[in-house]
Amino acid sequence: MEAPPDNDVLWARSLHFTHRDGSPGLTGVSLGVREGEILAVSGPRGSGKTTLLRCLSGLVPIDAGEVWFNSSPVHTLGPMARERLRRDRFGWIDPEPVLVPELNVWENAALPLMLRGAGRRRAKVAALEWLERLDVGDKARARPHRLRHAERQRVAIARALAPGPTVLFADEPTAPLHRADRTHVLRTLATAARSHGITVVLATHDPDTAALADRTVALLDGRRVHTVHLPDAPDAEGRAACSLSV
Amino acid sequence: MLALRLTRAGRPAVQLRRLLVAAASAGTGFLLLASLGHALDHPEAPSAAALRLAWCAAPLAATVYLALAVARTDPGARPRPGLSAVGLGPGRLMALSALTTALSCALGSMLALLVFLHLRGDLSGMPFDGAGADFLAAGSPLPVPATLTLLTLLPAAATTTVAVALRPRDPRPAARRSRGFGRFGAYGNVTAKETFGAYGRFGARLGLRPPAHTDEGQRSGHPRAGDADGDARPGHRHTGGSGDGERPGHRSADGDPHPAGTRAAGAAEVPPRGRSRAWGRVGADGDHPAPDGTNRPEAPAPDGTAAPEPPDPDGAAADAGSGGTPADLPWGVALGTAGLAVQAYAGRSTPAPALAVLLGWLLTGTGLVLAGPGLTHLCGLLLQCTRPGALRLLAGRVLMTEAARIGRPLGVVCAVASAGYATTVLQDGPARAFGPLSALGVLVVAGATLATLLTAAVEARQCRAGTTAALLRLGAPPTMLRGAAALRAVALLALFAPLTLGIAGLSALPLAR
Repeated sequence: MEAPPDNDVLWARSLHFTHRDGSPGLTGVSLGVREGEILAVSGPRGSGKTTLLRCLSGLVPIDAGEVWFNSSPVHTLGPMARERLRRDRFGWIDPEPVLVPELNVWENAALPLMLRGAGRRRAKVAALEWLERLDVGDKARARPHRLRHAERQRVAIARALAPGPTVLFADEPTAPLHRADRTHVLRTLATAARSHGITVVLATHDPDTAALADRTVALLDGRRVHTVHLPDAPDAEGRAACSLSV
Repeated sequence: MLALRLTRAGRPAVQLRRLLVAAASAGTGFLLLASLGHALDHPEAPSAAALRLAWCAAPLAATVYLALAVARTDPGARPRPGLSAVGLGPGRLMALSALTTALSCALGSMLALLVFLHLRGDLSGMPFDGAGADFLAAGSPLPVPATLTLLTLLPAAATTTVAVALRPRDPRPAARRSRGFGRFGAYGNVTAKETFGAYGRFGARLGLRPPAHTDEGQRSGHPRAGDADGDARPGHRHTGGSGDGERPGHRSADGDPHPAGTRAAGAAEVPPRGRSRAWGRVGADGDHPAPDGTNRPEAPAPDGTAAPEPPDPDGAAADAGSGGTPADLPWGVALGTAGLAVQAYAGRSTPAPALAVLLGWLLTGTGLVLAGPGLTHLCGLLLQCTRPGALRLLAGRVLMTEAARIGRPLGVVCAVASAGYATTVLQDGPARAFGPLSALGVLVVAGATLATLLTAAVEARQCRAGTTAALLRLGAPPTMLRGAAALRAVALLALFAPLTLGIAGLSALPLAR
């Protein structure tokens, strides 16, 4: 058995996960995430990207396999310990920016810091700094419903980055955006992560997005694949057969 | 049939809520039938029978309110975007929830009729040795049309209310094109209607500053989007596909791992922001009137691609939708104090005139109901003031947002509780007989209003389920969320319990002398 490299901050071995209704999620996925890198998990929809991220971040307990974070096991932790780990070490970005609608933008960004017990002033300073860095500093006092989608997504990124997580899980953070907003959001995320040495696990189905990452792990039908030989997009099936000219 | 199947498949909590509606409906139906029986038994005193029938309005209203609250929380009638294509659109869902309400109310009415007939002795012998012969009219035959009318009254009212309240609405705000009266002597349409003297009131102009501020955001945001567009096009020419369509600051930041690029980009935006702020200030001061009016804050950005600022009514509607400040608090306070004054005035003459006392009660109750959302909002405001942490922030802001939803039933509960308290205070002096029908009425009203409040709390929880899930994903401990909920309940109790007791004491004071 090959020993994992020393600088793997997070690694998983032969992850198996089945959804509660019995549909298969992951079947034997192994991967390691090095410290400070941006790892893209690519694959089409339904290939298990989100499930992999949820398993790695300890949101759901896995059926079989191992997940290790900083040389300590995650798969053996109880729900409370996993929750504490998520709060203190991990960040999470949803595909949809789910902000708390009652709080304004900077309070949303400062919420994880406050949940960790940081003082209000410190949390506000950190949140405002991150918002300014992500170009939404001028909206810091607005409510989330006043913002556009891309701005809300940037606020969600600021919220995930503000407590300085060790690993940031981004689950298709740019899926519902147009391309201009998408590149902007991705660049800001990548720049912030690289400048602060934050490890990012980025799920995406977009090859352009995956090009931003250091490495890419391809998933297909819940398995890790190294060489994907998908057939070229052919003509619509049976179209030639039914054509009058043939 | 579909409504029946959806009804049958509900979870126990949902069925319990429907059963509560049925029980309240049964109680109300029985009260209505009892008033009919009393009228049959005493044909010589129609005014007393009419008074009894009029008193049934309180349980009727409470039951309809409960049915509406339960229909709002019914998961069977929740909007299902996926099933809209199947035919379960908003209109059909409205019909479904109305039908479910009609079912539970009809069940309650049937129950009331059965119990009434059983007590009358029509089904078997007369129980309780004929003790209830006063209001049961056991001797005379029961007129069928009157019974049916009384029994269908509640289901019809509840169904109509639910259908009207849950009718599918257009999400777009209705465009009101009526010409409003502007400032005195001003031409043109103003967005907000101004009452006389509102223009020069202190602080009235300060509210115009935030739109200018958001306009800055738009203004500094739109060239940014334009930049990105302009850069994206060369990016396509390169066919590199590595996302070249990016601002220069980010491109440089990509090279060296330092956020200075983004900071520099942020700093580069300062001049236009400062300029537009200066414009806004000039416009607000009015010292240097704009020569052609193009540099007013409402002017569109010069590049022409900028979308116009969303109109203010939109924002106002969004604010109202997300639970802005309730505006009924002054009205509620005024009505409540007026009701107390009427009661005090009525208490001057020793046999207090019943009509004045009733009017005073009605005014006070309406005032409490109107003031409920405002007081709840105030409660949340007090909870989250002075540098709150995460716990107080979540508790207070949620209370402020849910003020309209929670505050109205809470006001109703307060009105009922204060009325009940004052009645008990007044009753222990003369010690009038507290009959079984009055007890049933009090039980129905109190139970229905309390159940409505709890159902409203459930509805608020359902609406916030997505946010709660996101908070949990963020790592918020569930104990903290529960603590926030408990803090909300304690704060509401701390504000509303003394208020209820005070109003009850004040209204009982002049009558008890």
